[in-house]
Amino acid sequence: MKEKINSLIAQCKKSVENATDLKDIKEIKQTYVGKSGEFTKLLKGLRDVPKEERPEAGNLINKGKMEALDYINKAEQEIANKEKLEKMKSETIDITLPGKARSIGTLHPLTQVKEEIIDIFAGLGFSVKEGPEIETDFFNFQALNIPLDHPARDMQDTFYITENILLRTHTSPMQARTMQVEQPPIKIVVPGKVYRSDDDATHSPMFQQIEGLYVDKGVKLVDLKATLDQFAKKFFSSESRTRFRPSYFPFTEPSVEVDVSCICGGEGCRLCKGTGWIEILGAGIVNPKVLDNCGIDSKEYSGFAFGIGIERLAMMKYSIPDMRILFENDVRFLKQYK
Amino acid sequence: MKVLYSWLKDFVDIEDSPEVLSDKLVKAGFEVEEIIDLSQEIQKVVIGQVLSVEKHPDADKLHVCMVNVGDDEPIQIVCGANNVSEGIKVPVCKHGAVLPGGYKIKKGKIRGVKSFGMMCGGSEIGLTEADFEGANDLGLFILPEDSQIGMDINEYIGTNDYILDIGVTANRPDCNSIIGIAKEICAVTNKQFKDYSFNITEVSEKTADVLDVKVENKTLCPRYMAKAVKNIKIEKSSDLIRKRLRLSGLRPINNIVDITNYVLLEIGQPMHAFDTRFIEGNEIIVRNAKDKEEIVALDGETYKLSTSMLAICDSKKPVAIAGIMGGEHSGVVNDTKDIIFESAKFARDNIRRSSRELNLRSDSSARFEKGVDFSTQELAINRAISLLNDGEVLSGCIDTLEKLPEEKTVEFTQNDITKILGIEIENETILNSLNCLCLDTTLENGVFTTLVPLSRDDIEGVNDIAEEVIRLYGYDHIEIKSLPVRGGKSQEQTLQSKIKNLLVSNSMNEIVTYSFTTAKSFDKLNLAQDNKLRNGIKLANALGEDFSVMRTNLVHNMISTIESNYKKGNKEARLFEIAKIYLPKELPLTELPVELDKISLGVYGNDEDFFTLKGVVENIYAMAGLKVTYERANVEFLHPGISANVIFNGEVIGKFGQVHPDVQKNYGIKTKLYVAELDLSAIIDNYTVIKPFKAIPKYPAIDRDIALIMKEDVAVGDIMNYISDFHKLIEDVTLFDIYQGDQIAKGMKSVALSVVYRDNDKTLKIEETNNLTDKLLKKLEEQFNAKLRL
Repeated sequence: MKEKINSLIAQCKKSVENATDLKDIKEIKQTYVGKSGEFTKLLKGLRDVPKEERPEAGNLINKGKMEALDYINKAEQEIANKEKLEKMKSETIDITLPGKARSIGTLHPLTQVKEEIIDIFAGLGFSVKEGPEIETDFFNFQALNIPLDHPARDMQDTFYITENILLRTHTSPMQARTMQVEQPPIKIVVPGKVYRSDDDATHSPMFQQIEGLYVDKGVKLVDLKATLDQFAKKFFSSESRTRFRPSYFPFTEPSVEVDVSCICGGEGCRLCKGTGWIEILGAGIVNPKVLDNCGIDSKEYSGFAFGIGIERLAMMKYSIPDMRILFENDVRFLKQYK
Repeated sequence: MKVLYSWLKDFVDIEDSPEVLSDKLVKAGFEVEEIIDLSQEIQKVVIGQVLSVEKHPDADKLHVCMVNVGDDEPIQIVCGANNVSEGIKVPVCKHGAVLPGGYKIKKGKIRGVKSFGMMCGGSEIGLTEADFEGANDLGLFILPEDSQIGMDINEYIGTNDYILDIGVTANRPDCNSIIGIAKEICAVTNKQFKDYSFNITEVSEKTADVLDVKVENKTLCPRYMAKAVKNIKIEKSSDLIRKRLRLSGLRPINNIVDITNYVLLEIGQPMHAFDTRFIEGNEIIVRNAKDKEEIVALDGETYKLSTSMLAICDSKKPVAIAGIMGGEHSGVVNDTKDIIFESAKFARDNIRRSSRELNLRSDSSARFEKGVDFSTQELAINRAISLLNDGEVLSGCIDTLEKLPEEKTVEFTQNDITKILGIEIENETILNSLNCLCLDTTLENGVFTTLVPLSRDDIEGVNDIAEEVIRLYGYDHIEIKSLPVRGGKSQEQTLQSKIKNLLVSNSMNEIVTYSFTTAKSFDKLNLAQDNKLRNGIKLANALGEDFSVMRTNLVHNMISTIESNYKKGNKEARLFEIAKIYLPKELPLTELPVELDKISLGVYGNDEDFFTLKGVVENIYAMAGLKVTYERANVEFLHPGISANVIFNGEVIGKFGQVHPDVQKNYGIKTKLYVAELDLSAIIDNYTVIKPFKAIPKYPAIDRDIALIMKEDVAVGDIMNYISDFHKLIEDVTLFDIYQGDQIAKGMKSVALSVVYRDNDKTLKIEETNNLTDKLLKKLEEQFNAKLRL
């Protein structure tokens, strides 16, 4: 009996070794360990074995069957694994082919910079206001302490429509418009298009500004510096510093030009023309006359104001050499700003 | 903290309704999360008396009874209970009654005999034998003979009451009790707190004679009080105690256990009662547990303690897990005679940690975790003793605390309060408010001195005092003097950004173009001579003719931008601009013109057509939630057959389509291009900012595809709109194919539509949709001469 079993196992192993796919294995399983397989036949044959030997013989057959089954199962597993690997190998793709997503659009770099600036000031508690682009002489000049025939008017080349109606030359008219209808505290930024009759590589007849105005009790120059320093650190880098230089605007007193430390770290580069500083905006303490013009008691309140040129910051941020590129709207340019 | 309304009345005269009282508490900082009207559970159930009992003609086990429910006429009720008999008084549901769980009782016929209500057992009105004798599920709940016929059962069982579910903030653990809340009510209603007055008779034997207490860890157990009582009888608690515990959600057990629970609710001090017999060696030792020391707690589970936990032990074994649960073999049992009441203060963090570690929580641990102060231990013992009906109270208390901590004092001036609140409150108001809150305050030479009671652990300095003052005086008194600046974008600006982002996600690139243009642009756009758009505002000192007129449309700049891209060899582009146009009221200007915000879109390239642009347009209105329709447009610069107006509320709010071939030629562009100009303000003014939640459908939809043959000039959009509005079961209709060619007659087209049917209330049957589809097809044939393609 033992021999019979051993030879059966040997036979089975041999067939397994010759098997190439899962179908072969299935057949082998049926032949040897299936319901009417060889081992079952042996078990049926136990009837002819003497009674006292039967338990041992039965035991042997079952052990043999288990051995054969283990062997077959192991081989089955191996073949299945192999087939799975082969299948996956055949499915391999070229992962360097381009993806299938539809291309995304872009916001104009000017919009991106404008939104970034607005977000920074919104975070500092400024609310965002907008005003008309076609303005009266009163709001654009007179309310801001620039009387008719004042030499300061020469500073800004103005597009006129009529004697009294013009294209605003800055976003500052919204200072006056807001102060006329609201009482302090006033804390606003005003983004918008402004116009000056200038057209060259660094000037465009239409450009965008963001005006800032903060009027309350006890607003001081240090508050202006703190605010703009915060802005510079967020917009440029946390290492950025700001510097005030004396300047003149009719609607602020004292007036300053504000420089931000250059990304070169002060060593001097092409961008800062070797100075280590870049001029980014004009600012100052709101001239008390402007407050009074707009119906705010300058004895009780004070304020600061600033105006930022968006094109200038966008050009700096993206190293754009010529302002006119911004308005050409070539899609190859636009698509760079994803 | 769930507070039984009637219980509060032991300590404060309440004149307000629960609703009014809740408002006052909310203003004082105690949020009333819910007012539960307990009488709502049981409605139209009254006490009735059975007048007669007769056998049911058709059922052996049923009886037909006449019952007096206090109305003019007795009512007939069929009853199956076997303890029904003449003369008994029982709870009776009248027609329309409601029972706990929302069960409704209505009149009806039982085996052919009319029954106008139901007589109840105890379980049917939410009671058990422990609540009322005879209240069980075995038969009718027979009430005492002197019960008043017709009385609402709520009144009888005490559910004509309210539960106030009050949110107690973590700084006010003292208010996790009836008396804590009652004191706040005194303060907010300007009433006197009705304090306890105990009248306790003690025997000469002292508690100290029968028990010794040692606290080994005074940090974890700053105070342990114990008092012994002898010769009590374990029995049922009084009706009042059982009722209050039951309505507060606790199961009455026996008089002693009920007392400890009652005191916990009323005073907020957890207590425990030991059977003196089980305290071996007549001593209680409060110590850290030994490592892996075991105790079987009252819940029958064995707990392995660790050395960080505090155990209450006798001379041999732990008898309780401090502050969390008593031991099973040391508590009160039916034959208990002598007891020891425990009233202690345990460190809250330790109780919290131990309870988490053991995964064992109890009302006691929950209360200790919130923090128990020094003011309640003795009070709780006295209150417990006063609630006993019998027994000999041994004199004296064991108290391991040598001296109560000093009461804190806080000194401040009116100015200190003003500095914090920003409003000036009169001295008199400050004094009144604080004294109302039991914060004993005096004013001398402009300086207030507040003596903070032990129960107010939370008050540490003048900021806490300011809070007490203002919450009683009323936060309504804080008047804004200077408006704080509100930063950020306006809603309109935010929506504009959203629209820009939507366009970007539709592969559109933003452009920025000059606001001024040339007067020739009007000719290039083929604008009629009388078109108002020709009325551009002219600059007096322009940089040149090309920049001399303020634009009246965005289309010209869009086409010009496409022109320059096209001429640079860019094969395709999707562009948008959001900017202003400038329309004069009259020329020359005498006042400022109107500046309108517009959206302009422009696309060209191999993949673009009218519908790729329309898809973007549709997305904008879909995001904004505007239901717009489209009709054929007649615009000079657009192709008459390939252009549309956007209609909203009967007004044109946009136009788009293929640029007219003549105009295309004017700009020298040799490829088709598509442009749109939409009113931004129409979108923003009508923007649905908050889209209401729509439930995801629970029931499956059935799709039916239909192909229709119709004349080629029939507008498919009209047909789709017609189908959409045809029936409320039609959820959606989509187009999936249009065919013209060999298979069908010339001048005709085949339109294949998929119609989705869905009923939101049930699963649709195929037959329903078949019927609907048949009706729909018939109507489509009548309305559009569209026939089913076979």
